[in-house]
Amino acid sequence: MQIVVTIKQVPDPNFPPANVKLDPSGRRIGSPMGVPAVMNGYDANALEEALRLKEQHGGRVSALSLGDEACRPVLKRAVAMGADQALLLGDENWLNADSGGIGAVIAAAVRKLGMPDLVLCGRQASDTDGGQVLFRLAHALGFAVITPVSKIESFEGGALVVQRQNGDTVQRLRVRLPALLGISSEINEPRTPSMRGLSNATRMRIPRWTAVDLDVPGLSARVAPRGVRVIESSSMAELVEGDSGMQRGIALAERLHAQGLI
Amino acid sequence: MPGVIVFGELAGDDLHEASLEALTAGTLLSAQLGEPLIGALLGENARTAVAGFQRGTQRMLLYESGELRQYDGERFAACAHRLVMDSGARVVLAAHTIQTRDWMPRLAARMDAGLVMDCTALAAQGDALLVTRPIFGGSVLGDFTLCGTPMMATLSPGAFAPAETIAHCAVDAVAPVAVPDHGVTLIEEIAGDTGDGLRLQDAKIVISGGRGVGGPENWHYIEKAAQDLGAAVGCSRPVVDAGWVASRHQVGMSGTTVAPEVYVAVGISGAVHHLAGIAAARTVVAINTDAEAGIFRRANYGAIGDFREVLPAFVARVRELRGD
Repeated sequence: MQIVVTIKQVPDPNFPPANVKLDPSGRRIGSPMGVPAVMNGYDANALEEALRLKEQHGGRVSALSLGDEACRPVLKRAVAMGADQALLLGDENWLNADSGGIGAVIAAAVRKLGMPDLVLCGRQASDTDGGQVLFRLAHALGFAVITPVSKIESFEGGALVVQRQNGDTVQRLRVRLPALLGISSEINEPRTPSMRGLSNATRMRIPRWTAVDLDVPGLSARVAPRGVRVIESSSMAELVEGDSGMQRGIALAERLHAQGLI
Repeated sequence: MPGVIVFGELAGDDLHEASLEALTAGTLLSAQLGEPLIGALLGENARTAVAGFQRGTQRMLLYESGELRQYDGERFAACAHRLVMDSGARVVLAAHTIQTRDWMPRLAARMDAGLVMDCTALAAQGDALLVTRPIFGGSVLGDFTLCGTPMMATLSPGAFAPAETIAHCAVDAVAPVAVPDHGVTLIEEIAGDTGDGLRLQDAKIVISGGRGVGGPENWHYIEKAAQDLGAAVGCSRPVVDAGWVASRHQVGMSGTTVAPEVYVAVGISGAVHHLAGIAAARTVVAINTDAEAGIFRRANYGAIGDFREVLPAFVARVRELRGD
């Protein structure tokens, strides 16, 4: 099974968002200063699922990321986890595209690599929370798309049986390949890279493709950022008083009870 | 005269409550653009919701079909596409729901249109829309310009008041669309896995522990407190990553979103990732040794101190006050 996994580099969501701002061009949202970049959590789940499918059914896993040179560590990590190849889609102009444009660029790259059986994406990115690129990519490739997928049950006769979270219910769906799945975090626990994987990642060359390598017509930018505002809550919790932890616990209970809350 | 089309959503035979909020946003844009407001309903029994959805709409379009009984994203997008085309509208709005977050992007891809989801504000400016939506898990607001034809947006539940003025208008059913085989078939639809204990998303009270709990050997404080108060057990991501607690307890961006009356955050610092999951909690209570922890900015009430002293005393006093 030929599988492509899309990977986004995001600011570590475990840090407070104090420094989010537009980059100097004013056309995209910059990474918060001082916050380490990590692989988007759902994308790590997507990669893990791709590696498991490859282990069961054979094939090849390719990891793609659209971004600048700062994305390389995340692609290296994808190789360290077990991806067979990694590719950076790194044209400066692509960075300002909206989800439609990004979907078109990734689709062109996927075509050039050779049409896969399956594309796995994270259900959304933890920075922009957009959840749209996977739909645009699937449309551009002419693939069926199912998201959010919490389980891949089986692969038989050229079709996958998957579970899709549909609010309070779960849909069991059969999808004929080729297809694209948006992967949710319930599906697995991403592996930690092995020593051998880390050594592979050190050696592997990660090519960078730009507009010269891909024929992408005029890029859609129908949605453009104008500004970002960090919600600096000036409010502070009402702190209960007391001489000891125990007394503060009692005071907290009495305060909540007086408000009819508990 | 293009227009603003607003999709209502059916929950069974009833209108999803956020649909009327979307209608308010549509009314606003329709006035700013000087273009008509068009209502649209698609579903198995779409007609049953017409009366409730006629609030300020000048026209109503229906797509009614038994094929819409079970949710199928491609089918919904294909039918919505027909409604948009028939309406001639250049602005397409809907409440942000589990369904629209799936079919609106499909529709946007089909129509090669710009779409911004989960908007908390929008306004017309010339031929463009200015929209605002939360990013970074809801701790940052992003302002965007949306242009092209059509312009599409889903609206964050609670961001607009429900539309009230009832006014009858013409109702037209649109011709059915043949949806070609798209390779996806529904085998069955089953109730979600509830796991053991109280479901986090249903709980009135959640007691949630973070890294500040110190280690798995202290986790029984959280479990005991939850049990004594009839609460669900939650946790932050580092606790799951460290293997102290099963991932189904995780509250936050990649875990469960909760909406309890009272959310008690114990030893939780208040990372973006976590705050995203408790945005809908009515009251947040924080217990933490670090008075500078970010959680105190989100919390309504707080106690600074060692949770091993604060939490058991808190629980015991609540039970006394309740007369347990």
